[in-house]
Amino acid sequence: MKNRSLPVSIFFIVLLFFACKTGYQPTTVQYKDYKVTPHQPINNELTSLLQPYADSVNKNMNDVVGSAAMELQKKQPEGILGNVMADAMLEQAKKKFNTPVDASFINYGGIRLPSIPAGNITRGKIFELSPFDNIIVLLKMDGNTLQQFLNIVASRGGWPCAGIQFQIKNKQAVNILIGNNPISGNNVYTIAMLDYIANGGDDCVMLKSIPQQNNGYLFRDAVLDFIAGKTKEGKAISSSIQNRVSNAE
Amino acid sequence: MQNRRNFLQQTAIAAGTMLVPSSMLAALTGQDAVTKLTILHTNDVHSRLEPFPMDGGRNQGLGGVAARAELINKIRAEEEHVLLLDAGDIFQGTPFFNIYKGEPEMKAMAAMRYDASIMGNHDFDAGLENFATQLQHASFPILMCNYGFIDTPMEHKYAPYKIFKKGKLKIGVTGVGIEMKGLVPDALAANTQYLDPIVNVNRVAEKLKKDRGCDLVICLSHLGYKYKEDENRVCDLILARETENIDLIIGGHTHTFLDAPVVVKNKAGSDVLINQVGWAGIILGRLDFEFSRFRNKNLSNSHTVTVGKKASE
Repeated sequence: MKNRSLPVSIFFIVLLFFACKTGYQPTTVQYKDYKVTPHQPINNELTSLLQPYADSVNKNMNDVVGSAAMELQKKQPEGILGNVMADAMLEQAKKKFNTPVDASFINYGGIRLPSIPAGNITRGKIFELSPFDNIIVLLKMDGNTLQQFLNIVASRGGWPCAGIQFQIKNKQAVNILIGNNPISGNNVYTIAMLDYIANGGDDCVMLKSIPQQNNGYLFRDAVLDFIAGKTKEGKAISSSIQNRVSNAE
Repeated sequence: MQNRRNFLQQTAIAAGTMLVPSSMLAALTGQDAVTKLTILHTNDVHSRLEPFPMDGGRNQGLGGVAARAELINKIRAEEEHVLLLDAGDIFQGTPFFNIYKGEPEMKAMAAMRYDASIMGNHDFDAGLENFATQLQHASFPILMCNYGFIDTPMEHKYAPYKIFKKGKLKIGVTGVGIEMKGLVPDALAANTQYLDPIVNVNRVAEKLKKDRGCDLVICLSHLGYKYKEDENRVCDLILARETENIDLIIGGHTHTFLDAPVVVKNKAGSDVLINQVGWAGIILGRLDFEFSRFRNKNLSNSHTVTVGKKASE
């Protein structure tokens, strides 16, 4: 730089000025949505990347995880399929949270198959039964709050439950037994349910303010684990109507 | 600064040989050829690696990475400057995720050469440590400016922003995540701290625009487009309004199919574009920005962007 003449130096200073004060700014935007349809060409690299996973997933979904001793039907106020699912929730919640749990509930609408036929149960069938990624949560509530919640359950025709027994009269829950003891307003009960309900779903607003114990355990995984446990013991899945929920006349 | 130094060096060489390149002429006259950038984007793909099954459902046959990759390749062959971006919720929604916890999702995105993504609430679903582990299969950065990842498995596996150089353009990209409370169980969020998205986007965007000289600043957002039931809840519309220095928000979370990019005036009166393309990779979004060169960058406080008509397929 030393040997350069003054005009050249000035030239550079001017250039530097321009370099500092210029830039690009977006002026116009064109846009387009590409719908990804089955009629489009596919990429072989991605297809082969996916192939081993897809094969394994499909095989995995066809895996037999257990067996149903009878047709498991979804019914209100109480059904065999619901009892199996509520038992699975109660048993697995006790294990996974390592704490006593008094009762479990599943919202009736959360069961997405009308029945599971007798015979082999595949993993895919359980995904159809419980496609949502709902998590099991534990809520501690006093007997009065539990009564309010049960009244919602009763008004909706009865939901699958375990660890509890009650009757529906004029859309209210009556003759409630938890374990084998009548409900007490001041007692605190630990109830397992889906996060969907605990967050106030299906009109269960009285539950929204209650702190939730949550360890990220999917309800679907609980059902699969429950069935796997039974299969390991050499047992087929079955249940019966036990008057957990019945209509009082 | 590296660019400017190179520019000066090149200029010195040019001046020395008495050749005046057209770019220098352009710099002196304020005229320049149109500079173009193509942005391709997805959000909330939710492990939809294969198209929706042919089961009579509304979306049957739609989506899938094999068709998307071919589309992206075709566009890349036609356009010089392309950025491929995603706005989070890569994970959860098909058995692929339940079994492989995100490995094929990450590999597919790497194969499609995504340039950046962010974390959506469902990307925590198999735990933060799992997400951090699956990033070994990713070749793209996770950009988050409002999650505090200190003492978490993500601590050294994310960046608050990245600057992409495309021809003469410098594009800054940052990202924001949604508040985890009520959406992500504490056990899965680990020690992730949620920080104010508006404050942090403004902080990073100012740095990108003013200090780092970015010509375009993009925010990938998993805040959601808007919330009818709670108008004050932070969302992309509010973010756009309350920020400066962001030009484009690529959104997610609410699975909103925007028919056209939405234009919002920011705090400085400049246009911010918001776009979101539903979910599951049913649609690949495309935005083609044209840039013009201007002088006195620091004096230009507000500017408008003209959105053209939607191109048909």
